[in-house]
Amino acid sequence: MPSIIVNGVEIEQDEDGFIQNPELWNEEVAKALAKQEGIEELTEEHWKVVNYLRNYYLQFQIAPMIRKLCKETGFSLKKIYELFPSGPAKGACKVAGLPKPTGCV
Amino acid sequence: MAYFIGQILPYITVTVFVLGVLWRLWRWAAARIVHDITLSPFPQTKGEVLGIYLREIILFRNLFKFDLPLWVGAWPMHMALFGVLGGHVVGIYFLGKQFVYLGASEELSKHLSELLGTVMGTIFLAGLLYLLYRRAAIDRVRQVSNPSDYLMILLLIAIVSVGDFMRFFPAYGIEYEPVREWFYTLATFQPAAIPDNPFFILHILLVQVLIMIFPFSKLMHLFGMFGMRWIVNRVQREPAPGLPNVDVAAARAKGIGLPQAGAGDAA
Amino acid sequence: MPEYKGLKIPARATDEEMRKIHIEPVPDEQKVDKAIQYLDEIRKKFRSFVLAMESCVKCGACAENCHTYLGTRDPNNIPTMRAELMRKIYRRYFTPEGRWFGKLVGAQDLDLDTIMQWYSYFYQCNECRRCGHVCPFGIDTCEVTMIGRQILHWLGIVPKLHASVGASMERTGNHTGLTKAAIVDTLEFLSEEIRDEFGVEVTFPVDKEGADILYVPSSADFLLNPYTLMGAGMFFTYIGANWTISSHMTEAGNFGLLFDQQHTMRHLFTRLLHTAQQLGVKKIVWGECGHGWRAWKMYLKGMADLPLRWEITHIHNEVAYYIETNQLKLDPYKIGRPVTLHDPCNYVRACNLAETLRKVIRACVADFREMYPNREDNFCCGGGSAILFDDPEMYQLRIKFSAKKAEQVRATGVGKDGNGILCAPCSICKAQLYPMVEEHELGVEVKGLIDLVGMALVWR
Repeated sequence: MPSIIVNGVEIEQDEDGFIQNPELWNEEVAKALAKQEGIEELTEEHWKVVNYLRNYYLQFQIAPMIRKLCKETGFSLKKIYELFPSGPAKGACKVAGLPKPTGCV
Repeated sequence: MAYFIGQILPYITVTVFVLGVLWRLWRWAAARIVHDITLSPFPQTKGEVLGIYLREIILFRNLFKFDLPLWVGAWPMHMALFGVLGGHVVGIYFLGKQFVYLGASEELSKHLSELLGTVMGTIFLAGLLYLLYRRAAIDRVRQVSNPSDYLMILLLIAIVSVGDFMRFFPAYGIEYEPVREWFYTLATFQPAAIPDNPFFILHILLVQVLIMIFPFSKLMHLFGMFGMRWIVNRVQREPAPGLPNVDVAAARAKGIGLPQAGAGDAA
Repeated sequence: MPEYKGLKIPARATDEEMRKIHIEPVPDEQKVDKAIQYLDEIRKKFRSFVLAMESCVKCGACAENCHTYLGTRDPNNIPTMRAELMRKIYRRYFTPEGRWFGKLVGAQDLDLDTIMQWYSYFYQCNECRRCGHVCPFGIDTCEVTMIGRQILHWLGIVPKLHASVGASMERTGNHTGLTKAAIVDTLEFLSEEIRDEFGVEVTFPVDKEGADILYVPSSADFLLNPYTLMGAGMFFTYIGANWTISSHMTEAGNFGLLFDQQHTMRHLFTRLLHTAQQLGVKKIVWGECGHGWRAWKMYLKGMADLPLRWEITHIHNEVAYYIETNQLKLDPYKIGRPVTLHDPCNYVRACNLAETLRKVIRACVADFREMYPNREDNFCCGGGSAILFDDPEMYQLRIKFSAKKAEQVRATGVGKDGNGILCAPCSICKAQLYPMVEEHELGVEVKGLIDLVGMALVWR
């Protein structure tokens, strides 16, 4: 099982890099996860997406509809792909510490 | 040897065939149709179901539509097979005089019977050779083949070749009468000696091998196709559409959904 | 990347994840014996399976008719060869010819490698049933795939994707893990979107007791397919229906069909019946989901433990009915873009929806172009049976599996100007095609059918 170590805490990941225990997430973890995604520097725009996803997840235990994510952050889907090359579900949600989405997605 | 092939083996053959097929069919019947797994087309009456069966049995329509090069060999081969089987029964029973009932002279009838048999036998052989060629030459067919697939087709080719040989070279052939008499003795359980013709004996031996292998081979597709179609092509009816307590005209007259009607009405 | 002796295999659920769906994984040294035992039980039960094992003549007609073989040219993706992976074992243990003449008839002892071959190739099958449709005998190789997956499930070998959906189904009643709060929030958001875009007021009643109609949407619609939910909401509002969506049963799909047709599939069946009773609905209307509609239509009857008191229809049938009776006013010129239709396999080969889809789409769009072959002869999108794996190697396979579909879409010319619509009214098709239309650069946008209905409705 792969894992990352952030500030001395080992955080387990699944094969796709999603962290296993969402409660261990913090901003440092996000930065480490972003690096794995090939995002060297989390800009303000990245954080806007990550924070929105994070807060939505804490409230609803699931990722928001992609259309809603775009609307609330003001970014087009294309822009989100520019920020997170693996896309909103497999890129942005991963960095935000959400579990891997399931079902027909 | 001729004694065994002609007077003992036939009984073994029939026993193995009948018990073998019954055992196989029983195994199929013992398993249930657990779910309605019908496939398109969706027949709405039993008549349409019958239509699908006939379309597939008589015309091989699926092969025609989805794999024409295969149909070109498979369909004539099977039709010739049906013709040959029917020809053996009718020709031997009526001693080739069956066409007399259709107004032909005895001479003409025998002639027709022989001509038909030769034509059918030739088509049969040609079809089998074509299928053998496909199995060996076309990658995807060769990849899916087991040794038994080749052996089966070679056995059929051997049977048909011997039969055709006797037709094309009547000097080595055999007349209808002695064959019929021999069959009568078999059927009455007083088996007489098999007519003394090595080609005929070989033909009969190979056919018996085929019949004994039948229940344990892919030849069971003869029954399997009925079983499978019975599962996938059946009448299935849809519940009628139309929603309860819905009056579209009234809803539209009230303007449900339009802003001034207010969102509350929509629910 | 998951790999087993050069086989392409999807990421496997861990033992812990298998336990969450009530399976205790069988240790490797017992797998072979257990598999044979399960196979024996199944062959005695399912006639469809026995016939598929015993009636094939290896004519090869299925090969060129399977998009997975066309896309990969891997001989084991020829439908009859895929079934042969099971058939050679079946022959060896359960037929006299296989026991005594094993080499001759291609029988083989079961070993772990073969079990992993099952895992690889039964999860490269889209269960689209095109091979059954073209087979001269109607042999349904999909049944073999399904039974292979069932045995693998009992052994504890299931893709992570399917196992996590199974766990989610049990936790929340839907595949994606939607909570009631998320459902309500998303539907409120969509009400606003409808107001902004279409200028109409639509509310989505959730868990409304005393509703006449229970609408069961695909849970993926809540994440990926906003217009499908919006279209359904607008349709029900337009006709003035007293309808509701249940937060307890928000799943048109049923992944049980795809890996465990017993415990997992029955769980959602029971859940549906409980929900319908609790809400007191009179009719159940199904949302856009291909495998799900097949599961409910074909399997519910044989598996429900309770009497079936409700008629279940598909929303496409309902829309078509209101179109036929001239009760829906649709303006086909509102969507001024060329549209082609991908027939979801389960709709057209298993559920008789081919003409219904056309009735609806012709009423909704002016420039509709058929792709060929179409209707029940259509090729799968390559995502069928939810093999929507995203680990790189499996993703490459998905691209290959959808090559035939891409070729079909290109031939219609709808994407020539980059503004085409590819209507694919099934959640799996949508999830597969969203990335695939980009991979193949088709110049089309993927939409559902109810999406188009919602867009074409004329309210005044």
